[in-house]
Formats: sequence, structure tokens, C-alpha cells
Amino acid sequence: MATVVPTTLEVAEELQIVGGDQLPEQVTLWQDAWRRLTRNRMAVIGMVIIGFFLVTAVVSFVWTPYDTWRQALGITYSGPSLAHPLGLDDYGRDILSRVMGGAGIALSVGVGASLVASAIGIILGLLAGFYRGKVDVLISLLINISYGVPDLLIALILVVLIGRGIQNIILAISITAWLGMARLVRGQTLALREREFVEAARSIGTKNLKILSRHILPNALGPIVVQATYLVPAAIIFEAFLSLLGLGVPPPAPSWGRMAVEGYKAIQIAPHIVLAPCVALSLTVLAFNWLGDGLRDAIDPRMRR
Amino acid sequence: MFPRREVTRGTLVYAFQRLVLITFTAVVVSSIVFIGVHQLPGNAFASEHRATAGTEAALLHHYHLDLPWPQQYVLWLEGLAHGDLGESLVNLGTQITPLLLREVKVSVTLGLAAVLVTIGVGMSLGVLAAIRQNTWVDYTASTAAVIGYSVPSFVWAFLLILLTVSGFYAWTGGAIYEDIGWGKIEQIPVPALALGLPYAAIVARLTRASMLEVIRQDYVRTAWAKGLSARVVILRHALRNALIPVATILGPLVTGIITGSVVIEYLFGIPGLGQEFVTSILSRDYNIVIGVFTFYAALVGLANLTVDLLYPLLDPRIRY
Repeated sequence: MATVVPTTLEVAEELQIVGGDQLPEQVTLWQDAWRRLTRNRMAVIGMVIIGFFLVTAVVSFVWTPYDTWRQALGITYSGPSLAHPLGLDDYGRDILSRVMGGAGIALSVGVGASLVASAIGIILGLLAGFYRGKVDVLISLLINISYGVPDLLIALILVVLIGRGIQNIILAISITAWLGMARLVRGQTLALREREFVEAARSIGTKNLKILSRHILPNALGPIVVQATYLVPAAIIFEAFLSLLGLGVPPPAPSWGRMAVEGYKAIQIAPHIVLAPCVALSLTVLAFNWLGDGLRDAIDPRMRR
Repeated sequence: MFPRREVTRGTLVYAFQRLVLITFTAVVVSSIVFIGVHQLPGNAFASEHRATAGTEAALLHHYHLDLPWPQQYVLWLEGLAHGDLGESLVNLGTQITPLLLREVKVSVTLGLAAVLVTIGVGMSLGVLAAIRQNTWVDYTASTAAVIGYSVPSFVWAFLLILLTVSGFYAWTGGAIYEDIGWGKIEQIPVPALALGLPYAAIVARLTRASMLEVIRQDYVRTAWAKGLSARVVILRHALRNALIPVATILGPLVTGIITGSVVIEYLFGIPGLGQEFVTSILSRDYNIVIGVFTFYAALVGLANLTVDLLYPLLDPRIRY
């Protein structure tokens, strides 16, 4: 007796998993990650806060309630009032305007240094992990020696050597901040270069540069994005450190760190001068850390169902 | 609490290798700074002192600055081999090595106090959060941890100064208030807290995560089943193993605290290495700057070595 073996398609039709709405929606890794990110409450709050400061920063480039540098707008050290919602500082400058301007500096330095440091770290990490041998020894030695000195010292002396413009500050921070990224990318590359798809690419004669850019880099992008996100708050704190020590963006630029240390002199009679930039800075850093935590959970493959 | 471990030959060899590496790093780092600084245009006395040509030449000769830099470098290396870092460019006659040795003691005291804060506060919060998982204690401690590490040390410094100086002064009518500075025991806790709290938050997060993993393991259930008291189960059995992953971040943490101390020393007027670095870099006293780099490289290396040597005490599976 011959049995009729149903074809796969027939089984599929029977089970109603072919055609129409039954097919599971096609999602890419990144769409999936984005969906999980937007379901994470802290990450969303973080993004809202970052968005708020980004808008503030952009607005501050064209408009602030008062000029950030204009002095003697009223009684110095006076607290919050209707005309000056965050009060005036020791030179009678409007603190709200200066906090807004500070957002522009903090985010430019934070995002700028994160991008530059990531670029340096990714390139050196890829080279060390892919070519191994002497290249790796050299780059790893550079990393290990740099880890042996507090990065703040290196940044401080660089600023003294190359000057205190905002681009120089970004450069000085980047030169100390790429180490973690290079280590991460090196580790990822070491693991990925042994995978079958890289071998397949190499066997059909793909050039090294293309293997690195098309096959290895995209597969390491998840952890890279997370690391780059964490680099932003780290760079913002770093810029504040430099400004505190008097080696940040030169005055009268309203850097949050500078504002805080200027207010420190009068912390007993006018704590609002110190508190305003400190609150803005801590909020921004907190928001980026929340976003980074959210991204990590959303992208980490071990968390996937 | 810890099992007795004897110092093995392997440990000694390992420590020796690391010491060689630390010395190498310190020499390389300070050499890079030395060479970099000596490429700068002009000299230390050209404009500021308005010296006559004769005194300027005498000063340059005194500091060997009239020699080509490779020769100066060799002289400096010879000094370094004898532990002599040279003389301050700003304060004529001030020997740098004894000055920095005095200051490194201050920095190490502050740093150790900060490490105590970090471990004490961080571990307690982490353990509390873990054993009360998913209760308000856990949520409060976990939220405090994220906020804690987002607030940088200098903001903690300002908040603590507001509390202990202005706050205490106002509330007690001037009877109790913190006297910012250095030299008395009671002046240590406030800067140590400011320095340690951001890192305490990181330790708390890690301790919580690793405690949660450990307290679900069989041997902990056995300990409960034997009828041991909660204190013994949590502190003796669970915490000891939970600390192993936490110990891995002690190295970066110590480096972070050393970096943070530069800012904290500056804000609190503490006469340590960090404060010295900032003043000497602002007054362009490059001899001291180079010396501070040498000291810091040695300090970071020795701190990390100490952490690594303590590690086998925590995890007997690790041997060098």
C-alpha cells in the first residue's frame, strides 16, 4: 500500500505557516536591537535627556537668553530670579545662558572625542588582531605602556604642548581614550578572523582590506557601538577635569567644569553657582550611562532569545 | 577569613618579572616626556625672569640646558639610576626626589582611604541588594549605584563640602564643621569619600551580580541546610567566592582613583603628587613634571602588582 508522503509545502500549508500574516516578520539584528532598546525604560529616559541637552546645545550656538560672556548683568552672586532663573555668578553673568553654552561644549567634546578615539582604537585594534605577529606586539606594547600612566596626566601635558582650543582638547582626550576600544576590537578581530566566513572570503581571493571592512568590522560593530557610547560620558567628565585644573577650553567659554571651580570660591555664600553646572553635567553623564547600559543589553547576543 | 598561603618560588619570580616591567615602563614613560619637553622652543628662563645674558647663561649651564638634548638625556638617565630626579627649575636648589617622596606619602594615604571607602561602601551595598533581591532595598541600592558612578568625584567633593562645611556649620551654630585641608586625621574622610564613591558604585553593581550567581549554588544551599547562621553563610561561604570577579576590576579601579586624586588634591588643597603636578605644569617646571610622571608610572605599576599578588589569597586556584 502506497502512502502519500506530503511535501514540505503541503505540511506548511496545513500548519498555516506559509503566506499572509503567519510568516514571522523579517527583522535585522539592528531592528531587533532597536526594538529592545525602546522597551528599556531607563534607556528611553536616557535618550530623552540626551535629546534635551542636544537641542539645548544646538540652540546655544545661535541663541542664549544673555551673552554667555556678558558681565555685570545684575548683583553678583544673586540667586535665582525671574530675569535670571539660575541666578548670576561671581562676575554677574547669567548662569542659565552659561549652562546652555556649556552643553554645547560638553557635547561637542564628548561626541567628538568618542568618534576620534573610536576611530583610532578601531584601526589599531583591527590591525593588531588581524595581522598579529610584530604589528600586534608593537600595538599591544603601546597600549600596555599607556595603561601604566594615569591618562589625565598625558592629556594635561598634551594640552600644555598643543594649546587649549576645543579641537586640541578633543585631540588630547582622544589620544588617551582609545586604549579600551583598541583592546576590545583586537579581541573581537582575533576571534572573528578564525571564523568560516572569513576563511571563505579569503579562499575566493578577497583582499585583506575588504575582509577587514566588509566581514570583520560589521560583525564587531555591536560591542563597538556600546563602547563608543560609554566613551561620551567619560570624555565629558575628562573635559570637566581639565577645565577644573585650569587647562580646559580657555575662558570666557562657559565650560561646566570651569563654571564649577569658579563658583567653588564662593560655595558657602552662593552654592547655586557650583550646583547648576554640576547638576547639568551629572544628568548628561547619567543619561549616556543609561543609554549605554540599554544598548549593551539590547545588542549583547547572550541576551538573545 | 582567608586561608594561609605560603609564598612560593613562582610568586617571587612573577613579582620580580613584574618589577622589571614596572621599572621599564617608568623609564620609557619619563623618557618620552623628557624628550618631548626638550623639543619645545625657547627655554625656561628666557622671558619670565628678565635675566641678564650672563645670569641666563649661568642658569642654563647649572641645569645642563646648554648641552644638546641627547647629552642632557644621558645625564638625566645617570641621575635616575641613582634615584636623583634633578632640581626644580622654578625654585633653585630644591631637590625633586625628596620633595616627591614626601608628596607620594600623602597621595598614597589618600588613595588607600579612598580604596577603603570604595570596597566598604560598594561591597555592603552590593551584598544588601543581592540578599534582598527585588525588594525596595535592592531597587534603592541599584539606583543609587547607577547615579553614584555617573556623578564624578569632583561633584561629590562639592556636595560633601556643602554638607560638612556650610551645612554642619549652620546646623550646629559653628560648633562642628569640616576644616578643609590636610595634616589632621579628621581631614581625610571627606576627600576620601569624594574620591571613592564613584568607584564604590561600580563595586556595588559587580558585587550584586556575582552574589546573585553564587547564592544560588549548591554549596550555599548546603550551608543553609546545615543550619549555619545567615552571617556565616553570607559572609563566609557566599561572599568569599562572590569577591573573585569583583577583584578583577581592582586594578583599573586603583588607576582610576589615582587619576581622580589629581583633581581632588587640587580642590582640597592636599599637598600630594597630583597637586604638585598641576602647579608645576602651570609654572612650566618641566623637571618636576618629568619626575611626577616617573613617580606615577611606578605608583600605578606597584598598585596593580599588589592587587595581582593579593588575588591568589581570594582564589587559591590561581598560582603564579
